[in-house]
Amino acid sequence: MPAPSLSGIPPALAARGLTKVYGDLAALEPLDLAIPAGQRVVLVGHNGSGKTTLLRMAAGILEPSGGDIEIFGSAAGSLEARAALSYLPDTPVLYDDLSVSEHVEYTCRLHGAEDWQDRASALIADLGLAARADDLPSRFSRGLRQKTAIVLALVRPFDVLLVDEPFVGLDPAGRNAFTELIDDAYAAGATVVVATHQLDYVARVERCVALRDGAVVYDGSPGAVDVAGLVG
Amino acid sequence: MTAVVSAREALIDLHRARRRTRTKQIDVFEALYRVYVTAIVGGIALWVVSGLTGDHRVDAATAAQVRDHGAQVIGAVIGLAWAIGLRSGGRGGPLVIEAADVRHVLLAPIDRTLVLRPMALRQIRFGVFAGLAAGAVGGLLAYRRLPGPALEWVGYGAITGALAVAGALGLAMAVSGARLGRLAGGGAAGGGLARSSLVGGLLALGVAGWSAADAATGSTTSPATWLGRLAISPLGWRSGSLIGAGVAIAAVGAGLWWIGGCSIEAAERRASLVGQIRFAATLRDIRTVVVLRRQLSQELPRQRRPRRSRLSGLPDWLAWPVWRRGWQGIIRFPPLRVLRLAALGAAAGLAAVGAWRGTTPLIVVAGLALYLAALDAVEPLAQELDHPDRRDGYPVDVGPLYLRLVAPSLVVMIAVAAVGVAVAVAASGFRAVAWQVGAVVVLPAAGCALGGAVTSVIQGPPPIASATDSMLPPEVAGARAMIRTVWPPLLATIGVAPVLAGRHPSVSEPAVIRVAGVTVPVLALLIIVGIWIRQREPIHAWFRVAMKEATSGPARPAAR
Repeated sequence: MPAPSLSGIPPALAARGLTKVYGDLAALEPLDLAIPAGQRVVLVGHNGSGKTTLLRMAAGILEPSGGDIEIFGSAAGSLEARAALSYLPDTPVLYDDLSVSEHVEYTCRLHGAEDWQDRASALIADLGLAARADDLPSRFSRGLRQKTAIVLALVRPFDVLLVDEPFVGLDPAGRNAFTELIDDAYAAGATVVVATHQLDYVARVERCVALRDGAVVYDGSPGAVDVAGLVG
Repeated sequence: MTAVVSAREALIDLHRARRRTRTKQIDVFEALYRVYVTAIVGGIALWVVSGLTGDHRVDAATAAQVRDHGAQVIGAVIGLAWAIGLRSGGRGGPLVIEAADVRHVLLAPIDRTLVLRPMALRQIRFGVFAGLAAGAVGGLLAYRRLPGPALEWVGYGAITGALAVAGALGLAMAVSGARLGRLAGGGAAGGGLARSSLVGGLLALGVAGWSAADAATGSTTSPATWLGRLAISPLGWRSGSLIGAGVAIAAVGAGLWWIGGCSIEAAERRASLVGQIRFAATLRDIRTVVVLRRQLSQELPRQRRPRRSRLSGLPDWLAWPVWRRGWQGIIRFPPLRVLRLAALGAAAGLAAVGAWRGTTPLIVVAGLALYLAALDAVEPLAQELDHPDRRDGYPVDVGPLYLRLVAPSLVVMIAVAAVGVAVAVAASGFRAVAWQVGAVVVLPAAGCALGGAVTSVIQGPPPIASATDSMLPPEVAGARAMIRTVWPPLLATIGVAPVLAGRHPSVSEPAVIRVAGVTVPVLALLIIVGIWIRQREPIHAWFRVAMKEATSGPARPAAR
């Protein structure tokens, strides 16, 4: 069971006995995990280990088969949790009939963001989308769609950032820009959870959680273990 | 309140912006063409149905029969529609929410009812309109045969149609949003989706069964039957009809009230799958529709084989690899698929009994039920066809490989047909002629149904532009496409049609002898289908070479 928070602030992410079953396949065994506010965590594991399932349950997209998962004490998927959490999936999901800037505008308005215009312009410029801001993402390459999704995930207010395989499809400039943006969010106090196979990113964080076949097999400093062995 | 107002304004602006972009992309001439084609198809359908119903008024005795039993028949249809709605709701339907709306709007910190209720209202509005139109047409056709003013028939028909559709949608939305899986012990989590599906399915069975019981007993107890009573009100008003109308309206109210609670996981899964199913259906790609429908209902193969799998113990020289591969796939059928196969077999048996007793068109129902079962049973072959790169890598001719893959499926279909025979024997009071005829028909029925399914999956969807069709006149190409679509279910019906031959036996030729006599050419047809499966690829390869030579000339011999 996750240890209770000493400061009285509930964990940014707390999973208790969390399971997910599809038919007779257990995607997640009973899993306990607590991530305190302001921590940066990387999730590693082989393909099919349960990283995406865990993140999607935290985002409120998948429903647990057992146990529960909370974001700052509110059930995942509740109104409070949705306000606090920003989820960036591995596959960008965008409207076919809105431009990049229209996507940004409506995301910010739905999330009640104030004075979002400057931040949006900065993000779009940082990710090299300034020249394409009025184009429809449905016509973009995979990399540009991923960049658009990154802007949407970061432009709105959040306290927890969940990122699933963020670097797939990004060019080196985009990768560097996104890494800096994640660092900026962490520096601003957000809790960041990144699921990735990129071992060079693992070295940047203070905590590594490894999953294997739906269970946590390691939870600690990435420097104290052979991370490549955990991923492979 | 301010947050709610601003969220609502943001949603309105979002939809306006999307509508603006979509409107710019509309091709006016294509839109007009679609209206034109829809009007022509609708007009032809109406003319055909109108011709089938005839013009002459029925006599008083027939009108009395309609008055006494019409509500039950219409109520059974309405009950079936409501059952489909309940089942859909248990699986997260009926709303089809765009993936981007699930991702960006439903995961935003706004009340989901605010987002989903307008979508629900739009769907109900569309459904009510469609039900009104269908009901009005039905009322008009009824007026031509039955006594009563035209306005009353059209009016009551339209209202009944609208309420039937609205009720189905309302029930679906209520089940979906109320998350009945929680009431069944799922808690907030605990497999709520699976339990919701189970609860929805049980409710659907209950509603459909209740209406069917009314139809069987001639009583008027279920709300669907009372609503059916409303449709035949020109033959005599019963105030109980308002019960059915009230239930339908209450269902709509409940659906709109609870719609905000629907599952995001189910919505996300439906988002892409329903669009793909519709696209595959327009292409007449039966196999893709089957696969996507299974994904929609999360009908997954069993992860683990049954513990005692005799196949794993067989020596290699005895366990032929293709036969073994077929059974390895079949023993992983999920329980729901096995139940469905049995249910379709039972339905085929009951329909065959109905055809034997004089309702000849029910033989088509029997054939279609077996065809649907065969589309599941043919899974080992279909899997091979879904992965042509793997198949092309085997050092085996394709034709013989297909036939060997069909063998385990034939065993399954014989079992399905045997269930049908058992049900038919029971429904006919355990008469000897029932099992005699059933024993003769079981193999051709199973074989032809499987042949139809195999034909369907091997052919695949009609090509959009084929070299063959380009050489044929448009009328011939169109007829060819229609035959290609109709042939598989027709073959399945041919397999069970020998049952009709035994309806009028004589002393010199008992029923089973007559049926057996008709079965011989059916088995011959089955052999021809088998030869086609075996030889299709070589014939197509020869044809491709011939086409190429015809267009580019024969290959010149190499210079010496």
